[in-house]
Amino acid sequence: MAAENGIRSILVVDCGTVMTRAMLLDGVGGEYRLVAQGQASTTWGESSTDITGGVRRAVRQISDVTGRRFFDEGGDLISPQETWQQGVDAFAVTVSASEPLQLALGGLGRNLSIASARRAAAGTYAQIRTLLNDRQGIPLTDESCVRAIRNAEPDVVCIAGGIEDGADRPVLGMVKATTLACSMMDRQTRPAMLYAGNSRLRRQVAEIIGDEAELRVVGNVRPTLEREYLADAQQELASLFLQRKLKQLPGMATLSNWSPVPVAPTAQAFGRLIQYLWHLGDPETGVLGVDVGGSNTTIAAVFDERLHLTIHSGLGAAFGGEELLRSKNPETLMRWLPEPLSYEEARGLLINKETHPTSIPQVERELWLEQAVAREAIRETLEIARPGWQPGYAQVYSDLLPVCDTIVISGGTLAKAPRPGQAALVLLDALQPIGISTLVIDAYGLAPALGSVASIKPVAAVEALDAGGLINLGTVVAPVGEAKPGDSVLEMKVSYDNGSELEIEVCYGDLEVLPLPVGQEAVLELSPRRGFEVGVGVKGNGGKRRVSGGLAGLIIDARGRPLHLPLDPEQRREQMQRWLRGAGG
Amino acid sequence: MDYGTETKIKALTKIRRERVLPREGEILVSPGDRVETSQVVARTELPGDFRILRVARELGISGSKIEKYLQVDLGDTVHQGTVIAKRGGLLGRSVRSPIDGIIVARGGGRLLIEAQPTPFELHAYIPGTVLEVADSRKVVIEMSGSLIQGNWGTGEESVGVLKFITNRPHSPLQPGSVDPSCHGAILIGGVMADREVLEQAEDVEVRGIITGALVPELITHVQQVPFPVVVTDGIGQALMAGPIFDLLRANEGEEASVSGSVQTRWRVERPEVIIPKPDKTPPVNEEAPDDGLTVGTRVRIVRAPYAGQVGEIVNIPRYARRIETGARVRCAEIDTGQDEPVSVPFVNLDVLR
Repeated sequence: MAAENGIRSILVVDCGTVMTRAMLLDGVGGEYRLVAQGQASTTWGESSTDITGGVRRAVRQISDVTGRRFFDEGGDLISPQETWQQGVDAFAVTVSASEPLQLALGGLGRNLSIASARRAAAGTYAQIRTLLNDRQGIPLTDESCVRAIRNAEPDVVCIAGGIEDGADRPVLGMVKATTLACSMMDRQTRPAMLYAGNSRLRRQVAEIIGDEAELRVVGNVRPTLEREYLADAQQELASLFLQRKLKQLPGMATLSNWSPVPVAPTAQAFGRLIQYLWHLGDPETGVLGVDVGGSNTTIAAVFDERLHLTIHSGLGAAFGGEELLRSKNPETLMRWLPEPLSYEEARGLLINKETHPTSIPQVERELWLEQAVAREAIRETLEIARPGWQPGYAQVYSDLLPVCDTIVISGGTLAKAPRPGQAALVLLDALQPIGISTLVIDAYGLAPALGSVASIKPVAAVEALDAGGLINLGTVVAPVGEAKPGDSVLEMKVSYDNGSELEIEVCYGDLEVLPLPVGQEAVLELSPRRGFEVGVGVKGNGGKRRVSGGLAGLIIDARGRPLHLPLDPEQRREQMQRWLRGAGG
Repeated sequence: MDYGTETKIKALTKIRRERVLPREGEILVSPGDRVETSQVVARTELPGDFRILRVARELGISGSKIEKYLQVDLGDTVHQGTVIAKRGGLLGRSVRSPIDGIIVARGGGRLLIEAQPTPFELHAYIPGTVLEVADSRKVVIEMSGSLIQGNWGTGEESVGVLKFITNRPHSPLQPGSVDPSCHGAILIGGVMADREVLEQAEDVEVRGIITGALVPELITHVQQVPFPVVVTDGIGQALMAGPIFDLLRANEGEEASVSGSVQTRWRVERPEVIIPKPDKTPPVNEEAPDDGLTVGTRVRIVRAPYAGQVGEIVNIPRYARRIETGARVRCAEIDTGQDEPVSVPFVNLDVLR
């Protein structure tokens, strides 16, 4: 790699489970610009599980467009750049294509250490294969515990539990059972043991485990009943994921050799980008990033400068939908459909999607189903994430989403939705933001990788974002309060920069879009009715706010928070159709 | 141009399969050996059931003191009723083994008894030549034959003689066509749409079913039958792709190995039908250079409204087109034998190789 100040061109790649995307950033007119991009399926056919295959195919598309050569005859990346048509100065890559870390998880108290350990696990690509507690949170018997671990064959057994100076016998009981389970397994396949419980028991835990398993000890995830501490456990699980999964991925060694900085997991890089965006906005509100990938859904939330990263491994746009339909009440998914679809047909479509994960809907009924999966993937991830947030001033209503200044959307299903209004509606239904938020879309699916570029050449990441890496989807105004459908809840005057004005009255239940294209701004004068607020001025008073336009325009979402869907399926479908029309979908 | 997926439909090709034990064991073949389909090529022992005895608690002593009372050592074989530990005196107590097994671990006042392990045998699955053995777990076998990759399936591996019970790629498997002559056969049909066919197939003990399409209502039932089911085209589709139907038809009466196992996410594993051709030699350099999509490429369409149709690419427009959903994407024009070619996004094409 060239020295940082000598970097002219950067090849940026994100290897997802389904798609690999590549982008070339190059200095044009003194600024970094997105010159070309390409995408290819990550694995292709039976023999190509090596992720460099997808990278080469995606990069080949950039070569086709630019005529630039990136690889030498031996197949190695040419770096630094040799001529303007040969090689690149730097290469940045993010990866989410590997299998997640498989966990067995035990703790004390369903809503205490078990919940905290779950949230710690959600900070990296991890799947909880088995719980060492029953539904009430009571530790399993020794035999059941050993059986659960032996059957699940996890990579890591994570034991939390016991507030500091709290109960020790049940925790040590789980540790003993885990040790027994490990002793029954082949040395090569034994799980690592992560102890994230009562710190007073560390010595005893180490003695019990002895040399039966690799022990890692971190800070208690639930040191007191009220306090949660996830940082240590998250860091250790992320390290175990890198070591046991990501680095084992065929082709990773080659990618690591090409990159001057460590290969970053996609979600972590996405989190860094969201953290950067938070610094640009109002510090009293939050910034959210939602990435619906092929196999995983990530929510990165930043409040008070602090990043909360939550990954739902196993549920994404291509994979996990069928399991979701099967394992939950089918209505969970079907409620979002604007036309009838039988359970069986939906299941068949979702299975077919899993066998052809790169495919896209060509007819609307299949599109609605995929967007319904995206809604539920976001909702489920949000459910895991929210209890761990500390939003401070942004949390205006305890049962609603904290106020978020900016919401970034990434992932093909949303970023490549046929109409921008559809992506916006999926997000509004799933997140239900309140007040005024700017929705931003990651048009090329490379926002996470740009987060990684920031560690090589910060200015390149910033300029690439400004030059079209992120595009405004629109501004949403969502008043909060209670009223009857049709009651007036908000008066709004829109003053466009060209001098024209528009005055509207918003009624409870409305969802509509006003014109405000990309690149234009307007001043909103908002006058909520008594009992309503929009995040401007004190309750009921309203005020003025300058907002930006976007692909979907200015969206007024007065459907109420939380959102209520009609119980009758026919009425609900009609309602969904109205909302789709209202959002421009 | 990049496309969605590819499916191998080969009349004659070189096929390699890795056979892997679930845990380390004994490899029974060497490189160069000829193996038959049902031959055991490796074996191991899978852990048996187990019991945890809370010896310290049962004897009313502390965990650190159980050594003194144990009547057995690690590695000892015990039988149901064997005294494991006992404490003398007025209030003497003893702990007996609840199962036949081996003492495998001790700690924290507890003892772990594991039942006799279960023998596991790994079959060759395909006839061929052993190419490689490794890590006391893996055997690689190579053979010549026909290969058809499926799209979805259930069940494990099986071997049987291919038997058609429908005449056309779009004909459903009919209950009346499954009779005792189907015993031990792998049945082939265009569309699986009747639960009764599955029940009758189970009754006459077929070795597997290959169907072009499966109605979604039968997914759960198919997952419960004791033989593999290979769905070559997809769920909810209308027929078996012509090239697959023709290749299977040409091999009716031949013995085939089938697998219904499917993995789609982090490790790709597809259902398949393998028909051995030990006397034939696959063409050298059979793998054509991968040029992606070009005019003339044979493809299958995987999404509605043309799902399941097979045809050839006749044109690749240079610019993105707007499809029925409103999305603007790169498409190819496919001649499916209808009046007009149909326009389909690249990513919805499955290249048939």
